Amino acid sequence: MRLIWDELRVAFPLIWHGNPYLMSIIGFTLEVAAIATAAAAVIGLPIGLALGLGRFRGRNVLRALANASLALPPVLVGAILFLLLTPQAPFGSLQLIWTRQAVIIAQTILALPFIVALSAAAIQALPPGLLSQARLLGASRWQLWRLALREARIGVIAAVIAGLGTALSEVAAVTILGGNIYGHDQTLASATFFEVDAAHYADAVAIAIVLIAMILILMCGLGVLQQQGGGIRMRFRSAT
Amino acid sequence: MTEPDVLLRCEQLSVRRGRREVVREVSAELRAGEIVALLGPNGAGKSTLLDALAGALPVARGRVERHGRVAVALQSPDLARRTVLANVTLALAWWGVPRAERAGRAREALRAMGAEHLAERAAGALSGGERRRVHIARAIAVRSDVLLLDEPFAGLDAEVRASLLEDAVSALRSATRATLVVVHDRAEAWALADRLLILIDGRLVASGSPRELLEQPPTVEVARFLGFDGELDDGSELLLTRPAHVVLDPSGPLEARVTRVIPVEDGARLELQLDRGRVYAVAALPSPGLGQSVPLRVEGGARFPVAEARSPVASG
Repeated sequence: MRLIWDELRVAFPLIWHGNPYLMSIIGFTLEVAAIATAAAAVIGLPIGLALGLGRFRGRNVLRALANASLALPPVLVGAILFLLLTPQAPFGSLQLIWTRQAVIIAQTILALPFIVALSAAAIQALPPGLLSQARLLGASRWQLWRLALREARIGVIAAVIAGLGTALSEVAAVTILGGNIYGHDQTLASATFFEVDAAHYADAVAIAIVLIAMILILMCGLGVLQQQGGGIRMRFRSAT
Repeated sequence: MTEPDVLLRCEQLSVRRGRREVVREVSAELRAGEIVALLGPNGAGKSTLLDALAGALPVARGRVERHGRVAVALQSPDLARRTVLANVTLALAWWGVPRAERAGRAREALRAMGAEHLAERAAGALSGGERRRVHIARAIAVRSDVLLLDEPFAGLDAEVRASLLEDAVSALRSATRATLVVVHDRAEAWALADRLLILIDGRLVASGSPRELLEQPPTVEVARFLGFDGELDDGSELLLTRPAHVVLDPSGPLEARVTRVIPVEDGARLELQLDRGRVYAVAALPSPGLGQSVPLRVEGGARFPVAEARSPVASG
């Protein structure tokens, strides 16, 4: 207990005085989380819509696969991407290994299953009569998609929150692909791991406090948005 | 050759749900200006027939001709999580109505269904009856050539249903539209329809005006479905009666014994046993008691040869 207290006494000034190392990690973490979550949403929401609304053969198998991918171990994703991106590998010529871009790719891939599976589940839970009624009154595919996203917005925002949570807190794949290089491609989570490993406990505690605060602020913000259904309401007003 | 006012016609239409043929060889047509009620017991295939007429289900055999656009109001009145007015305008957007016309048409349809005062209310805050009103308004607003409604009054208590039915009768009436309403309750069919189609076990067993069918049901099966629950057998002919046909009359030629008394709203429903069969009547209060002998006469009813009435098909 005393050790924790001692480390906290050192950690708070680091945060308070805006330690440049800490600030660079915060900036990169926010950048990775924003880009990875946005990319996963852009790729994942159409897939979630197709799985939630689709009436094609094999959709149940695909839904089961999407759900199973929620349990995908990040270390496995990191290892597979490493094998694909390493200089001798098929995508080695892209020279992405141990770069910030590799970290963003890994986080996108890890956030994707959450956005696909949870948004598909939210859309499947909509009253079936509403979507059928829209089809029978001549709604185009685009109108149907907008209706489904808007009606399932609470679940869809939950899917984005889950994707963002993954992007903020993942360590294994980031470390494998980015190398966890000091001051270069560290996120708050991977930097915490780095500092603990190096026995710099005060730095680790400072980074962990910032990470927890960031998670709380972002998740609460999205939670409020989710409850109000705001933002999305504005985007879909044109539907009427 | 299609007659000019026929907006929807099916010929020898059969529809499957999975491997089971749910609708069998149905031929019917809907004309502009008429409201037709599709009536049948549970599981008769009414909703399946409606889906096939709308084009939402593939046809196994036969064909459907549609002249104009067909709108469908499904049985479940699911609304989007927005205001009532926005729900109706959204339906108009799906239908392809220009944006400038949507609000006016939506309000007009809501007014016709007695729901204009709900326009700004959130759909989630509506009662069951109000949801049904908005659901029907949404279907009327699109002004389709053919309107198919699947049990629009289902799941409502008697009072709300009666009030909704009252508004729907005038709102659904249009000189240019053909309307088919699937109903479960005969009273709804009498209130709404110019013509009845009766579907039993996937087959269209009767078609005609409510009055015609009540006066002369074509088969025993149809008569029983239309509430002919009494039966008097004179050896060669079977007389089927509804309670309205049985009159308790001190000078009546028939004598019956009361075998059951069921209190109803304005009197009692009596089960009356005669030598030749059993009939039902509704008596004003105070009604005859159980076991009491009562004179009666029968006015009307439907007669069928006993051979037809006792055949396995007739008895279902």
